[in-house]
Amino acid sequence: MTGLGPELRIFLRQRLAGPTLALLALLSAISVGAGILEIRRQTETIARIQPLQAAEEAAVAAWVSRDGDAGNAAYYTFHATWDRPSALAFAALGQRDVAPYVLRVRALALESQIHEGENYNAELALPGRFDWAFVLTFLAPLILIVLMHDLVSGEREAGRLQALQAAGARLGLWAHRAGLRLGLVFLAVAAPFAVGAGMSGAKAAEVLALLTAAGLYLAFWTLVCLGVGALGRSSVANGAVLAATWVVLTLVLPALAHIVINSANPVRQGVELTLAQREAVHAGWDKPKDATLTAFFRVHPEWRNTPPVTSGFHWKWYYAFQHLGDLSVADPVLAYRRGLESRDAWTARTGLVLPAVGVQTTLHRMAGTDLAAQLAYQDRIRAFHERLRRFYYPYIFNETPFREGDFAKAPRWAEGG
Amino acid sequence: MSPVLRIAANELRLMARARVAQLAIALVVALSAVAALTAISQGRESQEIRSRFQAQADREFDGQPARHPHRMVHYGHFVFRPLPALAGFDPGVDAFTGSTLFLEGHRQNSANFGDVRQSSLLVRFGQLTPAFVIQALGPLVLIFLGFGAIARERDSGRLNLHFAQGVKAGQVVLGKAAALSVVAGLILAPALAALAWLTVFVGAVPAAALMLAAGYAAYLLVWVLATTSISALAPSSRTALATLVAAWALSAILAPRLATDIALLAAPQPTRLETDIAIQRDLKKIGDSHNPDDPYFAAFRASVLKAYGVTRIEDLPVNYRGLIAIEGERLTSALFERYAERQFADQRHQSGLALALGGISPTLALRSLSMAASGTDLEGHRRFLRQAEAYRYAIVQRLNRLQAERLTYSDDSKRNSDPGAGRRVRIDPGAWRQTPDFVYRPASTAESLAASTPGLLLLGAWIALASGLAWAASRRLERAGA
Repeated sequence: MTGLGPELRIFLRQRLAGPTLALLALLSAISVGAGILEIRRQTETIARIQPLQAAEEAAVAAWVSRDGDAGNAAYYTFHATWDRPSALAFAALGQRDVAPYVLRVRALALESQIHEGENYNAELALPGRFDWAFVLTFLAPLILIVLMHDLVSGEREAGRLQALQAAGARLGLWAHRAGLRLGLVFLAVAAPFAVGAGMSGAKAAEVLALLTAAGLYLAFWTLVCLGVGALGRSSVANGAVLAATWVVLTLVLPALAHIVINSANPVRQGVELTLAQREAVHAGWDKPKDATLTAFFRVHPEWRNTPPVTSGFHWKWYYAFQHLGDLSVADPVLAYRRGLESRDAWTARTGLVLPAVGVQTTLHRMAGTDLAAQLAYQDRIRAFHERLRRFYYPYIFNETPFREGDFAKAPRWAEGG
Repeated sequence: MSPVLRIAANELRLMARARVAQLAIALVVALSAVAALTAISQGRESQEIRSRFQAQADREFDGQPARHPHRMVHYGHFVFRPLPALAGFDPGVDAFTGSTLFLEGHRQNSANFGDVRQSSLLVRFGQLTPAFVIQALGPLVLIFLGFGAIARERDSGRLNLHFAQGVKAGQVVLGKAAALSVVAGLILAPALAALAWLTVFVGAVPAAALMLAAGYAAYLLVWVLATTSISALAPSSRTALATLVAAWALSAILAPRLATDIALLAAPQPTRLETDIAIQRDLKKIGDSHNPDDPYFAAFRASVLKAYGVTRIEDLPVNYRGLIAIEGERLTSALFERYAERQFADQRHQSGLALALGGISPTLALRSLSMAASGTDLEGHRRFLRQAEAYRYAIVQRLNRLQAERLTYSDDSKRNSDPGAGRRVRIDPGAWRQTPDFVYRPASTAESLAASTPGLLLLGAWIALASGLAWAASRRLERAGA
């Protein structure tokens, strides 16, 4: 058994070793820096919309409170919601670049508001972001391959293999050398991440869990390198086989899995439900008001005994058919969501077989930037919208004037729910 | 037989015998074929779904009952972006932009239900399309089969044998490159077949398909030349492999993502929410139609009264409420357009920054050409958004005109208090059927060819660079052999 010190010196004396590791550390640091900048930008955006939103609300309040019409207040006031990035989001930006993290809703039918998209440059979103998850998943294994493909074959080609074996080197030596390379690669990738996590105030347990996932992923690739190396081919052949393995495991199979999963779980309900919801809402204008209100009172019996609607138009009736429009598509909404969840679940299962998918799934789950996080944000918006409706209903159904002071009483978006 | 051809033939014979080479070529050709088949069938399916939804939306619009025209303004219309024929080759940003847009009065909605938000993070691994296979995997196969082409012969001393027979170094480089070009042709074959299919059976524009074929051929040629040159220049075949794989990782994997981050950092865009608020503010600055004393709308009323030579809006031959609606829509739409154009300009600036990085990555240059020629670049989506906005404006104003001309002011004002007036303001649904349907006009051939030109020029520069490298490699070999 040799000590770690001499082995480290031997390793670093190799022409490519030092620069390769430095390159990886540099790329990792850049990705962490870029991720932190992006998250800071998102946090600043969330802070920036607060005064904008307040001013907008004050402007609505100024003219609505003149005649105190609660229906107008509910119709014209947008309420801001936002999805603050987690402390680990910088490491895996995930879907945050294509899904909105700030969205305004009003007390009108929700299904025509909740699927709104964000303005983003699709050409830039297409290749994805240069975040830490990318460096770990795609680049770190390549670096490991560079450092490990000639672990044994390099000694054989240099004519030292027999001498090493004669000196009693067995598995221990190779494990030692492989472990050293794995450790150094892990350090190069993980150190910038750990610094970034410290800067963004991530919980130690979460950081540790994420690092464990990263370590396991790199250990998998170390084993692949050792396995290919054990077949006794030349360094060149090992390099080629390992690079091909990398391509198949990180590019080809995930792309194939994507096609299979998406076509096995079609989600056409998204478009269908918006078309159907529009029909339901607008049919409300042509249906007898009594029928609409009766249906609404079945869901909200607490307003049954309020003054009846006699005029041609009344906000009561309007908000009733808005809500009924949402209720009419409850089934497709659920089916749509099930479809999305099923895609996500199959991806997680794929991750059990494909380590690249597995580590991405884990990272994005922990960072709260995956599809599930997007759906969770939508759930919070739904709950908030419910509170909004219930806030405006007493004014509308009891025909209570809505005054300037009432604007401040409206529910506010609460962090974390 | 000329020495170049002999060397090429020998190299090909060698490859044909090597199991790794057979496997690599078979794999990439099979992948390319699978990608082409799935992309074409998915493209057709998704186009069918979109036209079915479009037909449904048109039918539902036409089938609306008698209504107040302003109800129809809010009922609005759905339009779907048709998928261009060549999306079966390169779907480009299609999955990353919503394909359906809800059009209504006073509002500009986002295009929704893009695949990217409906997919798990797998969508970020890249989509298996003919374009992806050649862009990302094609060069890698060339590298694996070609890194040793010259380096191996030098390691084994066979190179000197060539020189002893009077073969020039340049002929060796050319011969090896020719052999590798045959491999490139094999890699390209399924994609060319897909392009031919799309042209003949799906109605793709032949010129655009030719542009794609030329672009992809040029791209693979860059890698053929680079691989052969590096194989000649590198001190050993191992170094050649390492250098080439590093160059590939930089070009195909690293550069696209780095380009994204650099562009977004250099030119960030406001969120939709901020833009919405900014539009609302600008609108208030012009005038507030809710305020009866608003100077802008007071002036508007005065000008209308003057134009018709009456003193009271009740005496106007048209419904003043309809005129207000027309004027309001004109104001909001002008703002929408101004903000949308600003956003488009920002995005074009971002994409330009990213393409500038095509200077370090031929893959970026090809990607730009490929999406532009396929009609699946962001410009294609912007074209859709622009046409949809023009359509939105046209149908909303048409409905507003119906309100102004077919309804009386007195009925419109009493519609909620007087049931008779409430009935009279509902106009005959024939008017909905007469509203024209949305017809999307795709980019003209000249436009898509022009859009592909920057990418083509960049690829041309890359070919020049790679040729220079090959020339330098020949010179170096010549000196070493002499």
